[in-house]
Amino acid sequence: MPPPKSIRAPTTASLPDDLRIASTTQSLVKALGKLPRQALLDIVFYWLEDRNVASFPPYLQRDERDKDDDDELGPYPAERTIDDVRNAYQELQMRKGAKREVIDRILEGDWRHGITMRQLAMIDFRHLDDHPSSLRWTALELSHIGATGAATSEDSTDFNATACIPRVHASTFLHKLQQQISPLVKSHYYLARSRSLPVTFLRVFVTNSPYQYPRQTSDSLVDSSRVIYVAFPDSCPFIYTSVSTSMALKPSSDTVATDPRTLQRIVRDAIPKALSLPHQRYTLKATSLTAKSLGTLLKLRGPGRSNQANGAFSIFADAVLEGSPLDPRPSDTVTPEEYLHQPSELDKENVDITNGPTPDELPKKSRGPDPDTRITKKRKLAIQSRFGTAGSLLSSAPLDRLDVRLLDSPDQLEETGAEPAQPVLSLTFAGSDVISGIRKLAELGLVDPERMPSWMTGEEAVSVAVVRGGNRVTRDSG
Amino acid sequence: MSRNTTPQSSMEEELDSEITSIRAELRKLHHRRRILSSSLLASDKLQTRLKAHQSATKNTPTSLSITSLASDISPLADSAGKHSELNHHRVAFSATTFPFTDPSPTTENPHLLGVRIDVCTRSGRYTKPYYILLKRARTGDGGDGEQNKHFQIHRHTIPAFIAMDRLERRFLPVPSSATEAETEEQRLKPWKTRARKQDLWGLVRELRRELVAWHLRKDAVGFLREKLGVVRRGAGDYDDEGVWVRDVLADDMVETRLERNELGIIALSATTLEATYVRVEWEDGRVGRFKISNSGIVERAVILGDQGRDKAIEGILTGGDGRVETVLDRLKKTKTSPE
Repeated sequence: MPPPKSIRAPTTASLPDDLRIASTTQSLVKALGKLPRQALLDIVFYWLEDRNVASFPPYLQRDERDKDDDDELGPYPAERTIDDVRNAYQELQMRKGAKREVIDRILEGDWRHGITMRQLAMIDFRHLDDHPSSLRWTALELSHIGATGAATSEDSTDFNATACIPRVHASTFLHKLQQQISPLVKSHYYLARSRSLPVTFLRVFVTNSPYQYPRQTSDSLVDSSRVIYVAFPDSCPFIYTSVSTSMALKPSSDTVATDPRTLQRIVRDAIPKALSLPHQRYTLKATSLTAKSLGTLLKLRGPGRSNQANGAFSIFADAVLEGSPLDPRPSDTVTPEEYLHQPSELDKENVDITNGPTPDELPKKSRGPDPDTRITKKRKLAIQSRFGTAGSLLSSAPLDRLDVRLLDSPDQLEETGAEPAQPVLSLTFAGSDVISGIRKLAELGLVDPERMPSWMTGEEAVSVAVVRGGNRVTRDSG
Repeated sequence: MSRNTTPQSSMEEELDSEITSIRAELRKLHHRRRILSSSLLASDKLQTRLKAHQSATKNTPTSLSITSLASDISPLADSAGKHSELNHHRVAFSATTFPFTDPSPTTENPHLLGVRIDVCTRSGRYTKPYYILLKRARTGDGGDGEQNKHFQIHRHTIPAFIAMDRLERRFLPVPSSATEAETEEQRLKPWKTRARKQDLWGLVRELRRELVAWHLRKDAVGFLREKLGVVRRGAGDYDDEGVWVRDVLADDMVETRLERNELGIIALSATTLEATYVRVEWEDGRVGRFKISNSGIVERAVILGDQGRDKAIEGILTGGDGRVETVLDRLKKTKTSPE
């Protein structure tokens, strides 16, 4: 049944959390169906918790009494109290069954009056949190506007070495973001913390501009191409945005200003402005890194040690070169695996090391007659020095795509720098983990580990690069 | 048959677990033996004796058996001695340098200077060492044939919240030899563009200060949490009492909460990885935040309750000696003292 009709005037407010999408909407089934049964049940239990139930009220018998003309007998009679609803889902939890059963119960039973925008956002977000590789993420760097011109002030004594990491206060930030985009975009916001990664996500759902004729089809409220995710990793001057994959497929027929893509760009442009403070304005810079895995982005543009040390230098990032100054073992007698897996156990030699993760990994390597024996020792050493730990089992930052443009002329004999008609060769590597693939090729002898340029080892930590003479060319314009 | 399987499989399981525990024990002993043997080899007594012995045998080449013994031991003992000397340097000076060769065939400056910074934490352990690798780039071609070389940061493993590019701009400015054509202003006001020299010492000093201050802040927050008592949430543990949070500073993703304490603090944790700001939450709904300075002083504090700001507690947090480590003592003192 449709949500109760009400008069709605155009406002610049954001879409309310409790805006209901009619539960008969077909695409809702698909949206809910993305989650496994247990995740759906978890979310329902969360909705029904005492402190949350006011925001997500289920359909009860007393709602039925209000409109007595409704005499259809649905498959799920309305429950009397919230506890009854809880019990019903407990029962579903107990017995095994299809996912569809739960979805039907939600849409036709307890939330037959509609799923709110917030509920939908939670479902969507849960899927993202469980599948961090379901979207493509682009890393952007936050930088001060006018930071380069501040060279003179760095002589002063109050020099401070902290990077520009904006402090985000959720509600203030959303308020400012809303102020920025409200004249152009009608949107719904949902802010959530990831359960497994040190990242805070902002989900922005953009509908058309606020002045469009009141109601759109409820299908458009579920449309995933209108969703933009922004991820704020902890303590680093980067943000990640999702570029919805189905975006390009939908050339909207109406005016330019209202197609999802434009609206998404408006939102993206508003983010640095919303993060800015007086006298401390930020802008976003591209960092040439796009990848499916959020883990990769966290590793290459994240808060940790490995932003600026990859490829051959990953041995420093993972600290597998030498041990702590208290380790009596000479560093050439300790394998990188040991350094990586038992970083803190060197000092507590008397304490148990039974829970170290090494046991299963190390013997397996020595037992099997795999690549180790086939490749010569020299090449193995060369590979180790070129790749470090990159692309190995020890640490991985999978890039699913690597685009390289080579600006060298293929014959490489004469230097034709000034010649305008320079041949350009574009290489695209695609796969589940490009760098580890190149490492495998080097192990098989298809790539010469000593002569290959360093971008092949992932040292540049980018997914798009322009290369001249084996070195990456950076343009300042970004 | 079916009756037999259960005891059999249980016995197998028992054996399996026994085998794994024995394996673990073996690994532990192996590890211990390696540590002990290398400590023994690196020990001062053995090293001095060995050196004395070596110099003695050098002077008087006598019996064959002893010399062969000495040459057998010496590579191991040598490397152990060198290693312990290296470790002594790292412990004593905290910042050490080493050469590193960039394996890339296309690089112009393959010889890199590495700087390693070791930081010791509260537990007495050292963190993973921090590295900076500097390359010596050429500053244009000077014109007079003399090629000036200057340091540039090539790679580093410093966490992103320390702005290395800003440090580099400050301490390793590119010498401006290329700007020969001085503008009128530069000539008249030379102090405005006075050539700053590259200051590698300054860079390392400043960077180490930041790193140590960061670890001290982290330690301080950990110390405060430990004093209040931390409860870790086990798997499948659904006790909803208290505020369960994931500690930003901990590597694991385990949720923790504070034990019930007489101060009524239910949550105390760093807001971000750099641990500059600490968020505190009380039972009665008051929420506060204070800032730790690089020298370990509570610089600022804001506490909001239902009736607005709680200036009294803010004063206690920033008052006294201002140290972050004694914050809880100060709070306790006011709690117990008659009001």
